[in-house]
Amino acid sequence: MAADVPTPDIDPGDAGHPASDAAPTGGLVGGGRSLTRLGAFTLITLATARRRLGENSRVVRPRILGEIHRCGVRLLPLVGFLGVVLGVVFVGQTASLMEQIGAGNFTGTLMVAVFLREMVPMTAALVVLARVGTAAVIDLGTARALGEVEALEALGIDPIHYLVVPRVVGFAVSVASLGLYLLVVALGSGHAFAYARGLRASPIEFLTQVAGALHPLDFPLIALKTGIFGAFLGLVICYEGLARPLTLAEVGAATTRSVATCAVGCLLVDAAFLAVYLLL
Amino acid sequence: MNAEHAAVALEAESLVVAAPSGAAGRIGFGPVDWRVSAGQLWVVAGPHGVGKSALLETLAGLIPAASGRVRVFGREVLGTGDDEEGLRETRRRMGLVFDGGGRLLSALSVGENLVLPWCYHRNAAPAEALAALRPLIDHLQIGSLLDRSPASLGRSWSRRVALARCLALQPGLLLLDNPLAGLDAVHLRWWRGFLAGALAGHPVLGGRSLAIVATTDEVRPYLGLDPRFALVEGGRWRMLPDIGSVPLATGEDASRSPG
Repeated sequence: MAADVPTPDIDPGDAGHPASDAAPTGGLVGGGRSLTRLGAFTLITLATARRRLGENSRVVRPRILGEIHRCGVRLLPLVGFLGVVLGVVFVGQTASLMEQIGAGNFTGTLMVAVFLREMVPMTAALVVLARVGTAAVIDLGTARALGEVEALEALGIDPIHYLVVPRVVGFAVSVASLGLYLLVVALGSGHAFAYARGLRASPIEFLTQVAGALHPLDFPLIALKTGIFGAFLGLVICYEGLARPLTLAEVGAATTRSVATCAVGCLLVDAAFLAVYLLL
Repeated sequence: MNAEHAAVALEAESLVVAAPSGAAGRIGFGPVDWRVSAGQLWVVAGPHGVGKSALLETLAGLIPAASGRVRVFGREVLGTGDDEEGLRETRRRMGLVFDGGGRLLSALSVGENLVLPWCYHRNAAPAEALAALRPLIDHLQIGSLLDRSPASLGRSWSRRVALARCLALQPGLLLLDNPLAGLDAVHLRWWRGFLAGALAGHPVLGGRSLAIVATTDEVRPYLGLDPRFALVEGGRWRMLPDIGSVPLATGEDASRSPG
Protein backbone atom coordinates (compact mmCIF):
# COMPACT_ATOMS: atom_id res chain seq x y z
CA MET A 1 0.00 0.00 0.00
CA ALA A 2 1.68 3.15 -1.06
CA ALA A 3 -0.12 6.36 -1.81
CA ASP A 4 -3.58 4.93 -1.65
CA VAL A 5 -4.00 5.78 2.01
CA PRO A 6 -7.33 7.55 1.70
CA THR A 7 -9.14 4.42 0.58
CA PRO A 8 -11.98 3.54 2.90
CA ASP A 9 -10.24 0.65 4.65
CA ILE A 10 -7.26 2.60 6.00
CA ASP A 11 -8.62 2.88 9.47
CA PRO A 12 -11.00 0.02 10.11
CA GLY A 13 -10.53 0.20 13.85
CA ASP A 14 -11.73 3.76 14.11
CA ALA A 15 -14.30 4.02 11.38
CA GLY A 16 -17.60 4.88 12.88
CA HIS A 17 -16.38 4.30 16.44
CA PRO A 18 -14.89 7.58 17.58
CA ALA A 19 -15.88 6.88 21.17
CA SER A 20 -13.88 3.66 21.34
CA ASP A 21 -10.81 5.58 22.50
CA ALA A 22 -12.67 7.19 25.37
CA ALA A 23 -12.08 4.51 28.02
CA PRO A 24 -8.90 5.03 30.11
CA THR A 25 -7.01 2.03 28.73
CA GLY A 26 -8.71 2.38 25.37
CA GLY A 27 -7.41 5.94 25.30
CA LEU A 28 -3.83 4.79 25.60
CA VAL A 29 -4.26 2.01 23.07
CA GLY A 30 -6.16 4.30 20.72
CA GLY A 31 -3.52 7.00 21.10
CA GLY A 32 -0.80 4.49 20.30
CA ARG A 33 -2.70 3.29 17.24
CA SER A 34 -3.27 6.83 16.03
CA LEU A 35 0.41 7.59 16.44
CA THR A 36 1.35 4.48 14.47
CA ARG A 37 -1.06 5.42 11.68
CA LEU A 38 0.21 8.98 11.63
CA GLY A 39 3.73 7.60 11.36
CA ALA A 40 2.68 5.36 8.46
CA PHE A 41 0.95 8.29 6.79
CA THR A 42 4.13 10.36 7.18
CA LEU A 43 6.25 7.64 5.60
CA ILE A 44 3.81 7.27 2.71
CA THR A 45 3.85 11.02 2.16
CA LEU A 46 7.65 11.16 2.21
CA ALA A 47 7.88 8.20 -0.17
CA THR A 48 5.37 9.78 -2.54
CA ALA A 49 7.14 13.14 -2.46
CA ARG A 50 10.46 11.46 -3.20
CA ARG A 51 9.12 9.18 -5.92
CA ARG A 52 7.15 11.87 -7.68
CA LEU A 53 9.64 14.68 -7.25
CA GLY A 54 9.27 16.90 -10.31
CA GLU A 55 6.37 14.88 -11.76
CA ASN A 56 3.22 16.73 -12.79
CA SER A 57 5.04 19.91 -11.85
CA ARG A 58 2.65 22.18 -13.74
CA VAL A 59 -0.14 21.05 -11.46
CA VAL A 60 1.66 20.45 -8.18
CA ARG A 61 3.97 23.48 -8.18
CA PRO A 62 1.13 26.05 -8.42
CA ARG A 63 -0.58 24.21 -5.58
CA ILE A 64 2.56 24.52 -3.42
CA LEU A 65 2.79 28.23 -4.23
CA GLY A 66 -0.91 28.59 -3.43
CA GLU A 67 -0.36 27.00 -0.04
CA ILE A 68 2.61 29.28 0.67
CA HIS A 69 0.44 32.25 -0.23
CA ARG A 70 -2.42 31.05 1.95
CA CYS A 71 -0.33 30.02 4.98
CA GLY A 72 2.47 32.52 4.68
CA VAL A 73 1.91 35.67 2.65
CA ARG A 74 -1.66 36.22 3.81
CA LEU A 75 -0.62 35.89 7.46
CA LEU A 76 2.12 38.54 7.26
CA PRO A 77 -0.07 41.34 8.72
CA LEU A 78 -1.21 39.20 11.65
CA VAL A 79 2.27 37.89 12.37
CA GLY A 80 3.66 41.42 12.05
CA PHE A 81 1.17 42.64 14.63
CA LEU A 82 2.02 39.74 16.93
CA GLY A 83 5.71 40.49 16.43
CA VAL A 84 5.20 44.07 17.61
CA VAL A 85 3.19 42.93 20.62
CA LEU A 86 5.68 40.21 21.57
CA GLY A 87 8.53 42.64 20.99
CA VAL A 88 7.07 45.18 23.37
CA VAL A 89 5.79 42.73 25.95
CA PHE A 90 8.70 40.33 26.04
CA VAL A 91 11.81 41.65 24.31
CA GLY A 92 11.44 45.29 25.32
CA GLN A 93 10.49 44.63 28.93
CA THR A 94 13.16 41.97 29.38
CA ALA A 95 15.92 44.13 27.90
CA SER A 96 14.83 47.05 30.03
CA LEU A 97 14.61 45.00 33.21
CA MET A 98 17.93 43.25 32.66
CA GLU A 99 19.65 46.60 32.38
CA GLN A 100 17.92 47.93 35.50
CA ILE A 101 19.22 45.02 37.59
CA GLY A 102 22.68 45.31 36.08
CA ALA A 103 22.47 42.16 34.00
CA GLY A 104 22.40 43.88 30.64
CA ASN A 105 25.25 41.67 29.39
CA PHE A 106 23.00 38.63 29.60
CA THR A 107 20.18 40.10 27.51
CA GLY A 108 21.46 38.49 24.32
CA THR A 109 21.76 35.06 25.95
CA LEU A 110 18.24 35.32 27.32
CA MET A 111 16.87 36.45 23.96
CA VAL A 112 18.46 33.54 22.15
CA ALA A 113 17.62 30.86 24.72
CA VAL A 114 14.00 31.82 25.34
CA PHE A 115 12.76 33.99 22.53
CA LEU A 116 14.61 32.88 19.43
CA ARG A 117 14.83 29.17 20.12
CA GLU A 118 11.48 28.62 21.84
CA MET A 119 8.91 31.36 21.49
CA VAL A 120 9.37 32.28 17.83
CA PRO A 121 8.97 28.80 16.30
CA MET A 122 6.07 27.89 18.58
CA THR A 123 4.24 31.18 17.99
CA ALA A 124 4.63 30.95 14.22
CA ALA A 125 3.34 27.36 14.26
CA LEU A 126 0.36 28.13 16.48
CA VAL A 127 -0.66 31.12 14.35
CA VAL A 128 -0.61 29.02 11.19
CA LEU A 129 -2.51 26.25 12.95
CA ALA A 130 -5.19 28.61 14.21
CA ARG A 131 -5.67 30.68 11.08
CA VAL A 132 -5.13 28.15 8.30
CA GLY A 133 -4.81 24.68 9.79
CA THR A 134 -8.31 24.37 11.18
CA ALA A 135 -9.86 25.58 7.93
CA ALA A 136 -7.70 23.12 6.00
CA VAL A 137 -8.96 20.18 8.10
CA ILE A 138 -12.53 21.25 7.41
CA ASP A 139 -11.81 21.59 3.66
CA LEU A 140 -10.14 18.20 3.44
CA GLY A 141 -12.59 16.46 5.75
CA THR A 142 -15.54 17.78 3.75
CA ALA A 143 -13.92 16.67 0.50
CA ARG A 144 -13.35 13.24 2.04
CA ALA A 145 -16.89 13.00 3.35
CA LEU A 146 -18.34 14.00 -0.03
CA GLY A 147 -16.31 11.36 -1.85
CA GLU A 148 -14.17 13.85 -3.75
CA VAL A 149 -10.99 11.98 -2.83
CA GLU A 150 -12.33 8.80 -4.44
CA ALA A 151 -13.20 10.91 -7.49
CA LEU A 152 -9.54 11.97 -7.68
CA GLU A 153 -8.41 8.37 -7.44
CA ALA A 154 -10.88 7.34 -10.13
CA LEU A 155 -9.19 9.88 -12.41
CA GLY A 156 -5.82 8.25 -11.77
CA ILE A 157 -4.65 11.17 -9.65
CA ASP A 158 -2.62 10.32 -6.55
CA PRO A 159 -4.38 12.11 -3.65
CA ILE A 160 -1.22 12.12 -1.56
CA HIS A 161 0.69 13.77 -4.37
CA TYR A 162 -2.08 16.21 -5.27
CA LEU A 163 -3.53 17.09 -1.85
CA VAL A 164 -0.99 16.23 0.85
CA VAL A 165 2.48 16.96 -0.53
CA PRO A 166 1.71 20.61 -1.50
CA ARG A 167 0.21 21.25 1.93
CA VAL A 168 3.12 19.75 3.84
CA VAL A 169 5.69 21.66 1.77
CA GLY A 170 3.62 24.87 1.91
CA PHE A 171 3.17 24.67 5.68
CA ALA A 172 6.87 23.92 6.26
CA VAL A 173 8.06 26.84 4.12
CA SER A 174 5.44 29.18 5.57
CA VAL A 175 6.10 28.46 9.25
CA ALA A 176 9.87 28.79 8.71
CA SER A 177 9.47 32.09 6.84
CA LEU A 178 6.93 33.49 9.27
CA GLY A 179 9.22 32.57 12.16
CA LEU A 180 12.05 34.61 10.64
CA TYR A 181 9.69 37.53 9.98
CA LEU A 182 8.32 37.37 13.53
CA LEU A 183 11.85 37.38 14.94
CA VAL A 184 12.92 40.46 12.99
CA VAL A 185 9.78 42.43 13.84
CA ALA A 186 9.84 41.45 17.52
CA LEU A 187 13.52 42.27 18.02
CA GLY A 188 13.09 45.60 16.23
CA SER A 189 9.98 46.68 18.08
CA GLY A 190 11.30 45.31 21.39
CA HIS A 191 14.48 47.29 21.11
CA ALA A 192 12.57 50.42 20.12
CA PHE A 193 10.35 50.05 23.20
CA ALA A 194 13.28 49.43 25.55
CA TYR A 195 15.25 52.29 23.99
CA ALA A 196 12.30 54.60 24.64
CA ARG A 197 12.37 53.47 28.26
CA GLY A 198 16.05 54.36 28.64
CA LEU A 199 17.99 51.37 27.33
CA ARG A 200 21.51 52.54 26.55
CA ALA A 201 22.41 49.96 23.91
CA SER A 202 22.02 51.19 20.34
CA PRO A 203 20.25 48.93 17.81
CA ILE A 204 23.64 47.75 16.53
CA GLU A 205 24.89 46.99 20.05
CA PHE A 206 21.67 45.19 20.89
CA LEU A 207 21.81 43.04 17.78
CA THR A 208 25.51 42.37 18.37
CA GLN A 209 24.65 41.14 21.87
CA VAL A 210 22.01 38.79 20.47
CA ALA A 211 24.27 37.63 17.65
CA GLY A 212 27.09 37.06 20.13
CA ALA A 213 24.93 34.70 22.13
CA LEU A 214 24.08 32.62 19.07
CA HIS A 215 25.75 29.28 18.46
CA PRO A 216 26.67 28.67 14.80
CA LEU A 217 24.33 25.70 14.80
CA ASP A 218 21.41 27.89 15.90
CA PHE A 219 20.70 29.02 12.34
CA PRO A 220 20.22 25.57 10.80
CA LEU A 221 18.54 24.26 13.95
CA ILE A 222 15.95 27.04 14.06
CA ALA A 223 15.27 26.71 10.34
CA LEU A 224 14.93 22.95 10.83
CA LYS A 225 12.72 23.33 13.88
CA THR A 226 10.28 25.75 12.27
CA GLY A 227 10.27 23.66 9.11
CA ILE A 228 9.53 20.51 11.10
CA PHE A 229 6.76 22.31 13.00
CA GLY A 230 5.20 23.35 9.70
CA ALA A 231 5.57 19.94 8.07
CA PHE A 232 4.12 18.31 11.19
CA LEU A 233 1.09 20.62 11.07
CA GLY A 234 0.59 19.81 7.41
CA LEU A 235 0.84 16.06 8.02
CA VAL A 236 -1.53 16.02 10.99
CA ILE A 237 -4.04 18.22 9.19
CA CYS A 238 -4.01 16.02 6.10
CA TYR A 239 -4.10 12.85 8.18
CA GLU A 240 -7.11 13.97 10.19
CA GLY A 241 -8.88 15.35 7.14
CA LEU A 242 -8.12 12.65 4.60
CA ALA A 243 -6.82 9.39 5.92
CA ARG A 244 -9.89 8.28 7.86
CA PRO A 245 -13.32 7.67 6.42
CA LEU A 246 -15.40 10.60 7.59
CA THR A 247 -18.99 11.67 7.52
CA LEU A 248 -19.85 15.35 7.45
CA ALA A 249 -20.88 15.13 11.12
CA GLU A 250 -17.38 13.91 12.05
CA VAL A 251 -15.51 16.77 10.39
CA GLY A 252 -15.86 19.00 13.48
CA ALA A 253 -14.42 16.32 15.77
CA ALA A 254 -11.55 15.72 13.33
CA THR A 255 -10.76 19.44 13.41
CA THR A 256 -10.64 19.54 17.21
CA ARG A 257 -8.52 16.39 17.26
CA SER A 258 -6.06 17.85 14.78
CA VAL A 259 -5.60 21.02 16.86
CA ALA A 260 -4.89 18.99 19.98
CA THR A 261 -2.51 16.64 18.14
CA CYS A 262 -0.65 19.54 16.52
CA ALA A 263 -0.22 21.41 19.82
CA VAL A 264 0.99 18.33 21.70
CA GLY A 265 3.18 17.22 18.81
CA CYS A 266 4.85 20.61 18.50
CA LEU A 267 5.61 20.58 22.23
CA LEU A 268 7.16 17.13 21.91
CA VAL A 269 9.28 18.23 18.94
CA ASP A 270 10.26 21.26 20.98
CA ALA A 271 11.36 19.02 23.84
CA ALA A 272 13.45 16.94 21.43
CA PHE A 273 15.18 20.08 20.18
CA LEU A 274 15.78 21.20 23.78
CA ALA A 275 17.81 18.04 24.26
CA VAL A 276 19.90 19.01 21.22
CA TYR A 277 20.39 22.54 22.57
CA LEU A 278 21.54 21.20 25.93
CA LEU A 279 24.28 19.32 24.10
CA LEU A 280 25.50 22.49 22.34
CA MET B 1 -2.14 -7.48 -25.14
CA ASN B 2 -3.65 -9.97 -27.57
CA ALA B 3 -6.39 -9.27 -30.13
CA GLU B 4 -9.10 -10.79 -27.96
CA HIS B 5 -8.23 -8.53 -25.05
CA ALA B 6 -8.15 -5.50 -27.34
CA ALA B 7 -11.85 -5.98 -28.10
CA VAL B 8 -12.83 -6.80 -24.52
CA ALA B 9 -12.83 -3.74 -22.33
CA LEU B 10 -13.88 -5.34 -19.08
CA GLU B 11 -13.88 -8.88 -17.74
CA ALA B 12 -15.10 -10.09 -14.38
CA GLU B 13 -14.46 -13.66 -13.24
CA SER B 14 -16.27 -15.08 -10.21
CA LEU B 15 -16.36 -11.56 -8.85
CA VAL B 16 -18.09 -11.12 -5.52
CA VAL B 17 -18.76 -7.47 -4.78
CA ALA B 18 -18.30 -6.56 -1.12
CA ALA B 19 -20.78 -4.37 0.67
CA PRO B 20 -19.43 -0.84 1.08
CA SER B 21 -17.74 -0.33 4.44
CA GLY B 22 -20.05 1.30 6.95
CA ALA B 23 -23.12 0.36 4.92
CA ALA B 24 -25.01 -1.30 7.72
CA GLY B 25 -27.55 -3.84 6.61
CA ARG B 26 -26.21 -4.00 3.07
CA ILE B 27 -24.87 -7.16 1.57
CA GLY B 28 -22.52 -7.84 -1.26
CA PHE B 29 -23.47 -9.84 -4.31
CA GLY B 30 -22.06 -12.24 -6.86
CA PRO B 31 -20.58 -14.21 -8.41
CA VAL B 32 -20.31 -12.01 -11.48
CA ASP B 33 -18.94 -13.59 -14.65
CA TRP B 34 -19.17 -10.93 -17.25
CA ARG B 35 -17.55 -9.47 -20.34
CA VAL B 36 -18.05 -5.99 -21.75
CA SER B 37 -16.71 -5.16 -25.20
CA ALA B 38 -16.25 -1.90 -27.08
CA GLY B 39 -19.50 -0.68 -28.60
CA GLN B 40 -21.64 -2.39 -25.96
CA LEU B 41 -23.93 -0.66 -23.51
CA TRP B 42 -24.66 -2.70 -20.41
CA VAL B 43 -27.41 -1.53 -18.11
CA VAL B 44 -27.17 -2.91 -14.58
CA ALA B 45 -30.55 -2.65 -12.92
CA GLY B 46 -31.67 -3.37 -9.40
CA PRO B 47 -33.37 -1.85 -6.40
CA HIS B 48 -31.81 1.07 -4.57
CA GLY B 49 -29.04 0.09 -2.11
CA VAL B 50 -28.39 -3.34 -3.57
CA GLY B 51 -24.73 -2.59 -4.35
CA LYS B 52 -24.73 -1.31 -7.94
CA SER B 53 -22.50 1.65 -7.05
CA ALA B 54 -20.21 -0.71 -5.14
CA LEU B 55 -19.95 -2.80 -8.33
CA LEU B 56 -18.71 0.20 -10.32
CA GLU B 57 -16.28 1.21 -7.56
CA THR B 58 -14.98 -2.36 -7.45
CA LEU B 59 -14.50 -2.36 -11.22
CA ALA B 60 -12.57 0.91 -10.88
CA GLY B 61 -10.42 -0.55 -8.09
CA LEU B 62 -11.66 1.92 -5.51
CA ILE B 63 -12.89 -0.80 -3.18
CA PRO B 64 -11.52 -4.32 -3.03
CA ALA B 65 -13.67 -7.20 -4.19
CA ALA B 66 -14.66 -9.85 -1.65
CA SER B 67 -13.30 -12.39 -4.14
CA GLY B 68 -12.80 -12.95 -7.84
CA ARG B 69 -10.98 -11.04 -10.54
CA VAL B 70 -11.52 -7.96 -12.66
CA ARG B 71 -9.53 -7.12 -15.78
CA VAL B 72 -9.80 -3.85 -17.65
CA PHE B 73 -8.28 -3.93 -21.14
CA GLY B 74 -6.51 -7.12 -20.13
CA ARG B 75 -4.90 -5.66 -17.02
CA GLU B 76 -5.92 -6.92 -13.62
CA VAL B 77 -7.57 -4.40 -11.31
CA LEU B 78 -6.70 -4.88 -7.66
CA GLY B 79 -8.49 -2.83 -5.06
CA THR B 80 -5.84 -3.51 -2.45
CA GLY B 81 -3.24 -1.04 -3.67
CA ASP B 82 -0.75 -3.82 -4.49
CA ASP B 83 -0.01 -2.36 -7.89
CA GLU B 84 -0.66 1.29 -7.41
CA GLU B 85 1.01 2.56 -10.59
CA GLY B 86 -0.60 -0.13 -12.73
CA LEU B 87 -3.98 0.71 -11.27
CA ARG B 88 -3.51 4.41 -12.01
CA GLU B 89 -2.56 3.58 -15.57
CA THR B 90 -5.68 1.43 -15.91
CA ARG B 91 -7.85 4.18 -14.44
CA ARG B 92 -6.67 6.53 -17.16
CA ARG B 93 -8.31 4.20 -19.64
CA MET B 94 -11.64 4.15 -17.87
CA GLY B 95 -13.95 6.89 -16.72
CA LEU B 96 -16.22 6.68 -13.69
CA VAL B 97 -19.04 9.18 -13.29
CA PHE B 98 -20.35 8.97 -9.76
CA ASP B 99 -23.99 9.10 -8.77
CA GLY B 100 -25.71 12.44 -8.17
CA GLY B 101 -23.59 15.44 -9.08
CA GLY B 102 -20.56 13.38 -10.09
CA ARG B 103 -18.41 14.45 -7.12
CA LEU B 104 -16.76 17.50 -8.65
CA LEU B 105 -14.02 18.97 -6.47
CA SER B 106 -15.77 21.76 -4.59
CA ALA B 107 -12.55 23.74 -4.05
CA LEU B 108 -12.06 24.16 -7.81
CA SER B 109 -14.11 25.92 -10.47
CA VAL B 110 -15.92 23.93 -13.13
CA GLY B 111 -13.17 24.72 -15.64
CA GLU B 112 -10.44 23.69 -13.19
CA ASN B 113 -12.29 20.45 -12.49
CA LEU B 114 -12.55 19.79 -16.18
CA VAL B 115 -8.89 20.31 -17.04
CA LEU B 116 -7.44 18.74 -13.89
CA PRO B 117 -6.94 15.15 -15.17
CA TRP B 118 -5.63 16.37 -18.51
CA CYS B 119 -3.17 18.78 -16.86
CA TYR B 120 -2.09 16.22 -14.25
CA HIS B 121 -1.43 13.35 -16.61
CA ARG B 122 0.13 15.41 -19.38
CA ASN B 123 1.87 17.92 -17.12
CA ALA B 124 0.22 20.73 -19.03
CA ALA B 125 -0.94 24.26 -18.21
CA PRO B 126 -4.69 24.87 -17.83
CA ALA B 127 -4.83 27.16 -20.88
CA GLU B 128 -3.26 24.45 -23.00
CA ALA B 129 -5.77 21.92 -21.70
CA LEU B 130 -8.73 24.20 -22.32
CA ALA B 131 -7.66 24.72 -25.92
CA ALA B 132 -7.23 20.98 -26.45
CA LEU B 133 -10.54 20.15 -24.80
CA ARG B 134 -12.58 22.83 -26.57
CA PRO B 135 -14.30 20.37 -28.96
CA LEU B 136 -15.33 18.21 -26.00
CA ILE B 137 -16.56 21.26 -24.08
CA ASP B 138 -18.64 22.31 -27.07
CA HIS B 139 -19.97 18.79 -27.57
CA LEU B 140 -21.10 18.65 -23.95
CA GLN B 141 -22.45 22.23 -24.13
CA ILE B 142 -20.73 23.31 -20.92
CA GLY B 143 -18.67 26.23 -22.25
CA SER B 144 -20.71 28.82 -20.36
CA LEU B 145 -20.19 27.05 -17.02
CA LEU B 146 -16.41 27.02 -16.84
CA ASP B 147 -16.00 29.95 -14.45
CA ARG B 148 -18.71 28.85 -12.09
CA SER B 149 -18.29 26.92 -8.87
CA PRO B 150 -19.62 23.35 -8.79
CA ALA B 151 -21.89 24.28 -5.89
CA SER B 152 -23.76 26.73 -8.13
CA LEU B 153 -24.66 24.05 -10.69
CA GLY B 154 -27.79 21.99 -10.76
CA ARG B 155 -27.30 18.27 -10.42
CA SER B 156 -27.88 17.59 -14.13
CA TRP B 157 -25.21 20.04 -15.27
CA SER B 158 -22.85 18.96 -12.52
CA ARG B 159 -23.16 15.38 -13.73
CA ARG B 160 -22.48 16.48 -17.28
CA VAL B 161 -19.32 18.31 -16.17
CA ALA B 162 -18.24 15.16 -14.32
CA LEU B 163 -18.76 13.25 -17.56
CA ALA B 164 -16.63 15.80 -19.42
CA ARG B 165 -13.91 15.46 -16.78
CA CYS B 166 -13.82 11.70 -17.36
CA LEU B 167 -13.89 12.03 -21.13
CA ALA B 168 -10.94 14.44 -21.09
CA LEU B 169 -8.62 11.44 -20.88
CA GLN B 170 -10.41 9.70 -23.78
CA PRO B 171 -11.22 6.50 -21.89
CA GLY B 172 -12.20 3.32 -23.68
CA LEU B 173 -14.52 2.20 -20.89
CA LEU B 174 -17.13 4.39 -19.26
CA LEU B 175 -18.74 3.49 -15.94
CA LEU B 176 -21.82 5.59 -15.23
CA ASP B 177 -23.57 5.44 -11.88
CA ASN B 178 -27.25 6.06 -12.44
CA PRO B 179 -26.59 8.75 -15.06
CA LEU B 180 -30.17 9.27 -16.20
CA ALA B 181 -31.76 9.51 -12.75
CA GLY B 182 -33.76 12.65 -12.12
CA LEU B 183 -33.07 14.31 -15.46
CA ASP B 184 -35.59 16.57 -17.16
CA ALA B 185 -36.65 15.82 -20.74
CA VAL B 186 -34.00 18.05 -22.32
CA HIS B 187 -31.10 16.55 -20.37
CA LEU B 188 -32.48 13.05 -20.86
CA ARG B 189 -32.61 13.55 -24.63
CA TRP B 190 -29.06 14.89 -24.61
CA TRP B 191 -27.74 11.94 -22.60
CA ARG B 192 -29.46 9.43 -24.85
CA GLY B 193 -27.91 11.16 -27.86
CA PHE B 194 -24.53 11.17 -26.18
CA LEU B 195 -24.71 7.46 -25.33
CA ALA B 196 -25.71 6.60 -28.90
CA GLY B 197 -22.81 8.69 -30.24
CA ALA B 198 -20.30 7.21 -27.79
CA LEU B 199 -21.32 3.66 -28.73
CA ALA B 200 -21.00 4.46 -32.42
CA GLY B 201 -17.63 6.20 -32.02
CA HIS B 202 -18.04 9.97 -31.97
CA PRO B 203 -15.16 12.01 -33.46
CA VAL B 204 -14.91 14.11 -30.29
CA LEU B 205 -14.28 10.92 -28.33
CA GLY B 206 -11.49 9.87 -30.61
CA GLY B 207 -13.75 8.04 -33.06
CA ARG B 208 -13.57 4.83 -31.02
CA SER B 209 -16.62 2.96 -29.82
CA LEU B 210 -16.70 3.10 -26.06
CA ALA B 211 -17.72 0.25 -23.82
CA ILE B 212 -20.31 1.61 -21.42
CA VAL B 213 -21.70 0.24 -18.16
CA ALA B 214 -24.56 2.19 -16.58
CA THR B 215 -26.36 1.36 -13.38
CA THR B 216 -29.97 2.32 -13.02
CA ASP B 217 -33.07 2.03 -10.89
CA GLU B 218 -35.21 2.26 -14.01
CA VAL B 219 -34.40 0.61 -17.34
CA ARG B 220 -37.01 2.33 -19.52
CA PRO B 221 -34.87 5.38 -20.50
CA TYR B 222 -32.31 3.03 -22.04
CA LEU B 223 -34.67 1.29 -24.39
CA GLY B 224 -33.91 2.19 -27.97
CA LEU B 225 -30.15 2.24 -27.31
CA ASP B 226 -29.92 -1.51 -27.88
CA PRO B 227 -28.53 -2.20 -24.43
CA ARG B 228 -27.82 -5.50 -22.69
CA PHE B 229 -29.30 -5.89 -19.26
CA ALA B 230 -28.11 -7.37 -16.00
CA LEU B 231 -29.98 -7.43 -12.75
CA VAL B 232 -28.76 -7.34 -9.17
CA GLU B 233 -31.32 -8.54 -6.70
CA GLY B 234 -31.25 -10.38 -3.41
CA GLY B 235 -27.48 -10.76 -3.42
CA ARG B 236 -27.50 -12.31 -6.89
CA TRP B 237 -26.22 -11.17 -10.26
CA ARG B 238 -28.24 -12.19 -13.29
CA MET B 239 -27.71 -11.35 -16.95
CA LEU B 240 -31.03 -11.07 -18.70
CA PRO B 241 -31.17 -12.96 -21.97
CA ASP B 242 -33.27 -10.47 -23.92
CA ILE B 243 -35.21 -7.30 -23.63
CA GLY B 244 -38.44 -9.22 -23.21
CA SER B 245 -37.30 -10.53 -19.86
CA VAL B 246 -36.68 -7.04 -18.47
CA PRO B 247 -40.25 -6.18 -17.47
CA LEU B 248 -40.65 -9.61 -15.92
CA ALA B 249 -37.48 -9.22 -13.87
CA THR B 250 -37.76 -5.59 -12.86
CA GLY B 251 -41.50 -5.13 -12.78
CA GLU B 252 -41.21 -2.15 -15.10
CA ASP B 253 -43.47 -1.56 -18.04
CA ALA B 254 -40.82 -1.45 -20.74
CA SER B 255 -43.32 -1.00 -23.54
CA ARG B 256 -43.82 2.66 -22.66
CA SER B 257 -41.88 5.26 -24.55
CA PRO B 258 -38.56 6.22 -22.91
CA GLY B 259 -39.38 9.92 -23.37
